[in-house]
Amino acid sequence: MAYLQMRGIAKTYGGVRALTDVDFACERGSIHAVLGENGAGKSTLIKIIAGVVQPDAGTMTLDGREVQFSSPLEANAAGIVCIFQELSLMPDLSVADNICITDPPRTRLGLIDSRAQRRRAEELLARVGCEDIDPRERVRNLPLSRRQMVEIAKALGRNPTLLILDEATSALTSSDVTKVYEILHQLRNEGLSLLYISHRMHEIKELADTCSVFRNGRHIETFPKDAHTDHEVVQLMIGREMSHVYPPKPKWDTPPQPVLEVRNLSWPPVLNDISLTVGRGEIVGLGGLDGQGQRELLLALFGVLRGVQGEVLIDGRKTAIGSPARAKSKRIGMALIPEDRKTEGLMLPMSIGANISMAAMPMLTRGLVIDRSREAQRITEMIQQLQIKIGGVGDPVATLSGGNQQKVVIAKWLMTGARIVLLNDPTRGIDVGTKQEIYQLLRRLADQGTAILFYTTDYDELIGSCDRVLILYDGKIVRELVGDQITETNIVASSLNLSDQIERAAAEARA
Amino acid sequence: MSSATTRMGIDKPILIAGAFVIVILLVGSAYTLATQGTLSFLSPTYLLQQLQIASFLGITAAGMMMVILLGHIDLSVPWTLSAAAMLATAVGGPAAVPVGLGVGLVVGLFNGLGVAYLRVPSMIFTLGVNTVLMGLMVILTGGFAPQSAATDLMLFFGRDRTFGIPHAVILWIAVSVAIVFILNRTPLGRYMYAIGNREAATYLSGVNTRLVIICSFVICSLCAAIAGLLLAGYSSRAFQAMGDEYLLPSIAAVVLGGTHILGGRGKYLGTVIGAVLIVLLQSVLSVMQMPEAGRQIIYGAVIILMLLVYGRGDKLRA
Repeated sequence: MAYLQMRGIAKTYGGVRALTDVDFACERGSIHAVLGENGAGKSTLIKIIAGVVQPDAGTMTLDGREVQFSSPLEANAAGIVCIFQELSLMPDLSVADNICITDPPRTRLGLIDSRAQRRRAEELLARVGCEDIDPRERVRNLPLSRRQMVEIAKALGRNPTLLILDEATSALTSSDVTKVYEILHQLRNEGLSLLYISHRMHEIKELADTCSVFRNGRHIETFPKDAHTDHEVVQLMIGREMSHVYPPKPKWDTPPQPVLEVRNLSWPPVLNDISLTVGRGEIVGLGGLDGQGQRELLLALFGVLRGVQGEVLIDGRKTAIGSPARAKSKRIGMALIPEDRKTEGLMLPMSIGANISMAAMPMLTRGLVIDRSREAQRITEMIQQLQIKIGGVGDPVATLSGGNQQKVVIAKWLMTGARIVLLNDPTRGIDVGTKQEIYQLLRRLADQGTAILFYTTDYDELIGSCDRVLILYDGKIVRELVGDQITETNIVASSLNLSDQIERAAAEARA
Repeated sequence: MSSATTRMGIDKPILIAGAFVIVILLVGSAYTLATQGTLSFLSPTYLLQQLQIASFLGITAAGMMMVILLGHIDLSVPWTLSAAAMLATAVGGPAAVPVGLGVGLVVGLFNGLGVAYLRVPSMIFTLGVNTVLMGLMVILTGGFAPQSAATDLMLFFGRDRTFGIPHAVILWIAVSVAIVFILNRTPLGRYMYAIGNREAATYLSGVNTRLVIICSFVICSLCAAIAGLLLAGYSSRAFQAMGDEYLLPSIAAVVLGGTHILGGRGKYLGTVIGAVLIVLLQSVLSVMQMPEAGRQIIYGAVIILMLLVYGRGDKLRA
């Protein structure tokens, strides 16, 4: 009998099925990797195990006994401890306070015993090999990788029997990663179950004993680590032939007339001397590892960031873009589909209609008054054009599924008639069908003359939908890929800033 | 809820508050019927009198609603109200009303700039402004005694009536029409709801959010100034701390009317009913010769009780 056993688990958010009929088991004394694309249902699975969300259907047994967690606290009590990808430390408390936050040692009077607390923190830090961290230090003053180690120490302090790590190594330096591996192996040998989520293939190879692949909310397969090759694993994760999803790209005989030109743009320390052009009708991709300055670049262009150096030219004329209000003006005609639609793109409790017309409001106003019939007519047009599936225009936008919410954000900006569209990872967390509609839409807009700058964390999208791809590394454009050069190998190599070495190797091979 | 009532701007809090207004009147009438044998709470004279008193609170609350919709608050209302009235009467003559409104404009701009540009939390910033205004008024009255008699125009609007209808009530209606127009028909109103729901998303939609914040604070302070001028007219003179009794009731009126205290949601009609409810409650309790302590307890308990009812409704819907 497996330590953790889940049967027939299902969960839907709004209209979106996050998990469908999932059977999943996790053994004692093993490291179990969970693989899948974004939106495959991994996070939901973990949240259910950790008691953060409750499943709509299905049962869960722990050590043979059926359990139901209505809160993370109950899951904790049963020995399930989670280390999430976003750090959950309080920056202004000391390391010791953070480590002991849920159950601090107390004196006889019921007050927090700070000396015992410090001792316990020291022990736990020593266990993860971080004796150098002072428990009295404030977390704010620690570098990111040290904070992550504190997070791990904090998790161990709760005596887990099942430890879940959700992208827990993404912020670590390589020496820390080695340390973490040692600790995880040691914990496994002590008989703990470890659930491990990571997007780094080599980590999984090094760590995991067992792998499970998820796709579109379903559990596809569980297999011992070496049962499949990398290629087979990737096929399991994507589960489809790639080439039919994207609309065909146009052939470029002459370079298009530039609409947006950027010269020597810097925003220290994140962006460093970036120059690029986006032409009429062109889709230019931004690639690279996550967090190399892509988001900041889009925000800088849209006038959100202060203290940006360098020049931006619109239609060949130097233009200062000081705010989003300025960026959307007729002269510039820029739009930004932001990263997080729930906090940056939408007013969730407001109606679908009000959200769609929010950016184009100045065009719908006569004198001081909103032209309500024109507004209603334009909203209907946008809903039809983007095939947004809604109940009523007056319903809160929160009632829509993720994909349809994203369409509302896009509709908001299409209504302004933008000529330059910046997109910040627009397909994250939405279903495959809507993704394809978005690819079609982008190409249609480009064919009508829109200049598109498209950041995505999904390499397939760069390959499938972009005319050119710019790879960022550490705030710089390290490589421009055009046409046939846009391949997964090239993208990955340049993302790791290895392209020189690879080219050198290729040159040596030729010689 | 049917779509017809939604279109008319009636939602659950408004229905509850409206029903409660009727309950107060019925309870009060039952009391007077039993003790005096009259139905004085249902007489037009009494009701118009209450509406006149409610108009001061109603106009203050209308302004307060503008900032609460954004998710902000204006704690400088009491002394904005007092300062507008006191400076207006001190200047006197035809300049009195423009000076009073000018005080509202300046305070509103100051509050708005502080919150929008300096990003000081409005609760702190306006609290400071309130205290500064109080100090300034102490200086004004400290060295010499300025005149505090209301001008004719203030008396006309604050105290006088035409065909028995108090002019203050008519002005309240005018302010209400203006507010409803702003909220429902102009981009400014749309942006106010949007900021209250998610300021970042509104900013990234290319809305000049700072301007919207400043406008809301200006409207709020202007409303407080108008209420101050009316109140001075009603009591024939301006005096220190005349606005102190308007801070919590104006916030309570807005929230009892169903406006979300964190912003983004709320209908103006609710604020009107909230103001009427508070004034009636206070009046009926005092007619029933409830001692002051009991009045305060009941008043506070009613507010908590009604908010509990609203909150529960929200939870069920989610």
